[in-house]
Amino acid sequence: MEHDVIKNPLIVELELLRANFDKTTEKLIKDIQRHEKIMTKADKRQKQEYDELQRKFAEVEALQKEIEETQKEVIFTMGSIGESRSKETGNHVRRVAEYSKLIALHYGLSEHDAEMLKQASPMHDIGKVAIPDAILNKPGKLTPEEFEIMKKHTELGYDMLKHSHRPLLQTAAIVAHEHHEKFNGQGYPRGLKGANIHIYSRITAFADVFDALGNQRCYKPAWSDEEIFNFFHKERGEHFDPKIVDIFFKHLSEFLHIRETFKDPI
Amino acid sequence: MNNLKFEATQYTPEISLETYGEINIKGKSYPENTFEFYMPILQWLRTYFTEPNAPHSLTVNVEITYFNSSSSKLFFDFFDILDANKENFNITVNWIFDQENDSAKEAGEDFIEDFVDLTIHLIAK
Repeated sequence: MEHDVIKNPLIVELELLRANFDKTTEKLIKDIQRHEKIMTKADKRQKQEYDELQRKFAEVEALQKEIEETQKEVIFTMGSIGESRSKETGNHVRRVAEYSKLIALHYGLSEHDAEMLKQASPMHDIGKVAIPDAILNKPGKLTPEEFEIMKKHTELGYDMLKHSHRPLLQTAAIVAHEHHEKFNGQGYPRGLKGANIHIYSRITAFADVFDALGNQRCYKPAWSDEEIFNFFHKERGEHFDPKIVDIFFKHLSEFLHIRETFKDPI
Repeated sequence: MNNLKFEATQYTPEISLETYGEINIKGKSYPENTFEFYMPILQWLRTYFTEPNAPHSLTVNVEITYFNSSSSKLFFDFFDILDANKENFNITVNWIFDQENDSAKEAGEDFIEDFVDLTIHLIAK
């Protein structure tokens, strides 16, 4: 009888269990350690990625701002070129821009659209770059033939801007095309009537005329406020969208504030 | 046993599993369900090691440029299977990474640290 092989079966079982337990525990510890390692590395990477992302976002934002500013400047400069040819001051386009936004907001357009109109409206006379100086700066009244040429600046401006798919330039194209249309259909170049004239154009038309009347031009002296107000009352629903004229009188102080803020240097 | 091929997607790498003894994994790895995605790959690997006609050597080329933490976990599981079969198979892992990609490099180093008996080459591009 081999006494040394006799072992309590319970002990054998327990030893086996312990061995299994040790093995499982070892595996669990290894798994946990591995998991911790993965998480630590993942956290580290996540931090790097997020830092990088923020850096890129800041870059993109700066770039976008740069693009927008450049676009605004280019557009404003284009507008000024159109105006400078007809001896306007740079402040005219600035004021027209401000009036246009003010009207747009009171009319119920969104902030986005109002801002876009503000940026686009300075280009309404860009077509004047193609009108001969002799007509553009002629003191006194134009002959019917000269006036026909002068009227072409609307279509010329439209042709210059219409090819762009940028919303801003599309807006500018519409305004350049239609800012001499009249609410009653008596304007040019197409004789559009009422709501067939784009709201952007109706707004800019008013803003442009309001500013032009208050300032001296080569062909006319500056009008007094009283004359201007009478004119707008008379042209309400004729030359101008009645709703815009109403907005003007209702918020007159805001218009006069813009006029004062951006007045021409004497 | 057949060759298996997965085309790369925006979230998953290109993977080819060749019965002549080669595995290639290349690309990004951040699937929505990582476990599900890698399941057939792990399964193929297990089958390879039990296949009587499988060649006795296996080369694994891994070039992962981006991976999420679940993918890391799955790579560890993948290496576990390799590790369990290293006695009977001549296994070589080539962990390929871009010089600039620290995360990929560190992941390779982690595998070397954890699987000391596996032949893992770090290859900088």
